[in-house]
Amino acid sequence: MWQAIKSVLAAFLGVQKDERRREDFRSERPGTFIAAGLIVGVIFVLLVAFVAVMAAR
Amino acid sequence: MRRLLMWMAVGVTLAALTPMVLANGWNMPEGVTAVSRDIYSLHMIIFWICVVIGVIVFGAMFYSLFRYRHSRGAKAATFHEHTSVEVIWTAIPLLILVAMAVPATATLKTMYDPSEADLDVMVTGQQWRWRYDYLGEDVAFTSNLSTSREQISGTSEKGENYLLEVDEPLVLPVGQKVRLLLTSDDVIHSWWVPELAVKQDAVPGFVNENWVRIDEPGIYRGQCAELCGRNHGFMPVVVEAVEPERFDEWMAQRKEAAQQEAMSADREWGLDELMARGEQTYGAVCAACHQPDGSGSPPAFPALAGNQTLLDEPDRHISTVIDGVAGSAMPAFRNTLSPVEIAAVITYERNAWGNEAGDTVQPSEIAERLAAQDE
Ligand code: HEC
Ligand SMILES: [Cu+2]
Repeated sequence: MWQAIKSVLAAFLGVQKDERRREDFRSERPGTFIAAGLIVGVIFVLLVAFVAVMAAR
Repeated sequence: MRRLLMWMAVGVTLAALTPMVLANGWNMPEGVTAVSRDIYSLHMIIFWICVVIGVIVFGAMFYSLFRYRHSRGAKAATFHEHTSVEVIWTAIPLLILVAMAVPATATLKTMYDPSEADLDVMVTGQQWRWRYDYLGEDVAFTSNLSTSREQISGTSEKGENYLLEVDEPLVLPVGQKVRLLLTSDDVIHSWWVPELAVKQDAVPGFVNENWVRIDEPGIYRGQCAELCGRNHGFMPVVVEAVEPERFDEWMAQRKEAAQQEAMSADREWGLDELMARGEQTYGAVCAACHQPDGSGSPPAFPALAGNQTLLDEPDRHISTVIDGVAGSAMPAFRNTLSPVEIAAVITYERNAWGNEAGDTVQPSEIAERLAAQDE
């Protein structure tokens, strides 16, 4: 799971090592990546919302 | 040495061009409000950030193209990726964007805070003029284009403020926070005055808010900035900013004039004075659609000259002008013209351009009908 989260974070930034990408694609379980993507996505949205709320005060 | 000279020449040219561009009005104006100056400095900071980035990126690109060209035996590298370089060139723009967002957000916050205003003005877009309502003051008027038809058709020379002049500007006091409530009677317009850094859509059925606090007395001109039909280019905005004392005097005068106008609705008006008044109103308000000579542009805008059915039905003539024609471009003038103006313009239409109804429509008659409708 930690691996998947790191890959999702790399995808958010848009930079990933080729080696790590190959490794991810050898994995048999796409569900882990989907779950990691959703979790990081929700955290990101909450973070942006938090910054917006703080800025609006 | 040659290269150094070349770069110096480029630098000097750029440095020489910048003030020229600024002085030429090609740049956005710095404006006359604190907000407009904030926006201007943001614009300049971000502009220079873009210039620096552009020079670096394109400089590197052109340098590489030139220096490592094929004819000099350059061989392409074949490595696939370089993670740390990629991280750096992603992180730096990210930081720059965040650094730009901080002051920009601060400015937006002030711009979107119309609270604690000293004066409220309702601004209503109409095809094709602006209407200004000083809320709580009982002063309201429409502001029509005053550029002459001859200038527009090209038969006389164009004035300095061609298409940027009106019969009655919006008068505002300097140094006071003025809240603008923008809406529209028909289609979407946009109230735009560059020097005040206000460009706000006026949308039918909605009220948008904005505000200005003007620092310097003066006349500031703008235009409708949302394509709104045939005369979109003929509904300018003119704001006259005056000292608060002058503003109060002006307001008192307007109130008195409004009272006199209301009182004059009671007396009997003669044909000639109604015709004179009606010609004014017709030229300012109706001619855009029905043409100065009443010929209209059928089938979109009916002719009023020689319109016999209309002359035979004075009652329908009056109700059309008061209530408009639902589902057509013909607006209701119940709220935008005074009883005197409505009576005068109808009398004018019935007796101008060869129309010979011979009758007058009295302001008192219109006032009665309006009062009856209000009940
Ligand atoms: C935005 C364009 C527009 C403006 C401005 C406008 N009109 Fe009209 N007017 C129309 C249209 C369109 C009609 C036809 C309505 C229909 O019957 O469908 C019309 C119809 C009329 C009619 C009825 C004509 C008939 O034969 O039935 C009268 C009278 C009239 N207008 C008077 C005025 C007066 C007076 C003004 C100014 C105070 C004015 N109009 C301003 C668009 C306009
Ligand atoms: Cu408009």
